[in-house]
Amino acid sequence: MIFTIFKKELKDTLRDRRTIIAMIVVPVLVFPILLALSTTVTKYFDDKQKEEVLKIAVVSEATDNQFTQRLSAIPDSLGPKDLIFRQDTVGLKKEISIDSIQLAFIIPASFDQDQDSNLQSTIQVYHKGVNLGNKDRVKDYLAIIENTLLQERFERLNLDKQLIDPIDDQYIDISSKKEVIGKIAGGFLPYLFIIFGFIGCMYPAIDLFTGEKERKTLETLLTTPVPRWKILIGKMMVISLSGIAAAVFALVGMFAGLRLFNIVNIPGLSAVIDGILTPQFILGLLVLLLPLTIFFAGIIIPATIYAKSFKEAQSVLTPVNFIILLPAFVGMLPNIELDYTTAFIPIVNIVLATKEIVAGTIDPILLVISYLVMVAVAAISVLFSYKRFGKESNIIS
Amino acid sequence: MIQVENIRKEFELTKKQQKENNTKDKVALAVDDVSFECQPGRIFSLLGPNGAGKTTTLRMLAGILKPTSGSIRINGIDIQKNPNEAKKDIGFLTGSTGLYERLTANEIIEYFSKLYGVSREDYEERKENLYTLLGMHDFQDKRIGRLSTGMKQKVSIARTMIHDPKVVIFDEPTSGLDVITAENIIKLISDCKTQGKTVIFSSHIMSEVDLLCDDLAIIHKGTIVHRSSMHEFRENMQTNSLTAEFIRVINENN
Repeated sequence: MIFTIFKKELKDTLRDRRTIIAMIVVPVLVFPILLALSTTVTKYFDDKQKEEVLKIAVVSEATDNQFTQRLSAIPDSLGPKDLIFRQDTVGLKKEISIDSIQLAFIIPASFDQDQDSNLQSTIQVYHKGVNLGNKDRVKDYLAIIENTLLQERFERLNLDKQLIDPIDDQYIDISSKKEVIGKIAGGFLPYLFIIFGFIGCMYPAIDLFTGEKERKTLETLLTTPVPRWKILIGKMMVISLSGIAAAVFALVGMFAGLRLFNIVNIPGLSAVIDGILTPQFILGLLVLLLPLTIFFAGIIIPATIYAKSFKEAQSVLTPVNFIILLPAFVGMLPNIELDYTTAFIPIVNIVLATKEIVAGTIDPILLVISYLVMVAVAAISVLFSYKRFGKESNIIS
Repeated sequence: MIQVENIRKEFELTKKQQKENNTKDKVALAVDDVSFECQPGRIFSLLGPNGAGKTTTLRMLAGILKPTSGSIRINGIDIQKNPNEAKKDIGFLTGSTGLYERLTANEIIEYFSKLYGVSREDYEERKENLYTLLGMHDFQDKRIGRLSTGMKQKVSIARTMIHDPKVVIFDEPTSGLDVITAENIIKLISDCKTQGKTVIFSSHIMSEVDLLCDDLAIIHKGTIVHRSSMHEFRENMQTNSLTAEFIRVINENN
């Protein structure tokens, strides 16, 4: 009988446009679209920034000082520039504020003399802070000029560069690429599961409980000789399946976006993704997702039973969605690992376990503890739903 | 057969409801000490004004609500002790019954036949008979959302009768329907009587009562204020119409 209810509810759910959008369309498309958009937009602005000809005012008594010579010599590959020579700073700030000039270097009259005497020169840079890229370009220019001047000083003084650089630091990373990506993606995947798992459960739950009340079909269903717990379980199976489907579709969308469309161009990423996406990994994630989505269904259903309209159900559940998201933040925090304390904290344990599974560093005992804790919490939530579903005032409008 | 003995139904009031009803009582009494019997092959009508307790009583008979006290037996089965066994014999139809808009008529009828444990053979036979009787063949594969009110009502009737219930409960079955659609319901109730089923229906439309009813009870403020056969009711009328007599009985018990 549970299967009959499950089959009917699944058919009904799959014909609901709103649920299909929440369960399949949004999860599949959201990541490729977001990734494509963010990389395209970033690239567009980067390119624009690099190609933009900066009008730079050089304020100096002499146009042939060492600074100006070196600034002029910087190749256009580091960003095209147009140098404008000025004797004073009159009206300069206004010109920068209206963007007719983007930057200004104020060179002291003693610049050449200071450099020849191995002294420090102060150069003021006028810039408009809201144009973030301009300051970066100034820093690049100054680093090149400073490096050249430094090199010349060493040669002039006949000194070795090691004199001011006593340590040559060399970093050798022994973590595998899989571990690195695992730690990054592992913190992110639980977000994916929680957001889409929850939304994937929410819409069908509202439709299958609040919707049935609103459409006055629940009353008829309750007159049939089917125990209420079987009706509840049949519906709950569809809700959990929908949550799992939404999370899996989001995962598919993300990996498809990264790999097939090559949106994020990281060398060797495809090979790492292939290494992570093994059948064991996918199975492990599905097993972890099961109690999580049952738990979601268990906390969503009472709200949908209580609510008298779709709108009311949605307004009750939206804050719950935010509360549920909090444990996912823990997964992003550094230095919080799955251990004998965190394994007993529901949701947080699943978040951390997912991270470890992706990185390939999961401790099987901790995984089992996390899983059992989550199953227990899911069972409590199911019991809670059952109590609510049995309450007459909740089911009859 | 339906045997109702001293049923009482109390609803717990939330603080909001207490405020709305301007009361400090924690419970509201919807049905108080109601007893009656409905016989097979006869149509029993439960009459009463809005808010009298008709729907609550019928919902208790259908096993949707549990009485606070008292007992209900459907064909000898105590619905509180064996709800699922008793429900197998019940068909329940209300004027406001909803249907699954995204399913077709066929899918709904098949779903309910499975919920009632009807065998495939019986399902096919009954479906054919009901579809022929109600003229449903043309729209059997259409989704409910695309059907007219009359067509939907026919699907509701087929859904109610697919398990061939021995007891049929109608809660204001014609409310909100046009005369043509209401006629289908009137015919269904009449057919149920012919087939020897136990029928109870609630209404406040006296013309329907006059046309169909064998026995009646008038419920007002949760209690039965009159119970007799239709014949006795007509015989003892103190006014010149059924509607006037109904109003008189209600006013007498105000």
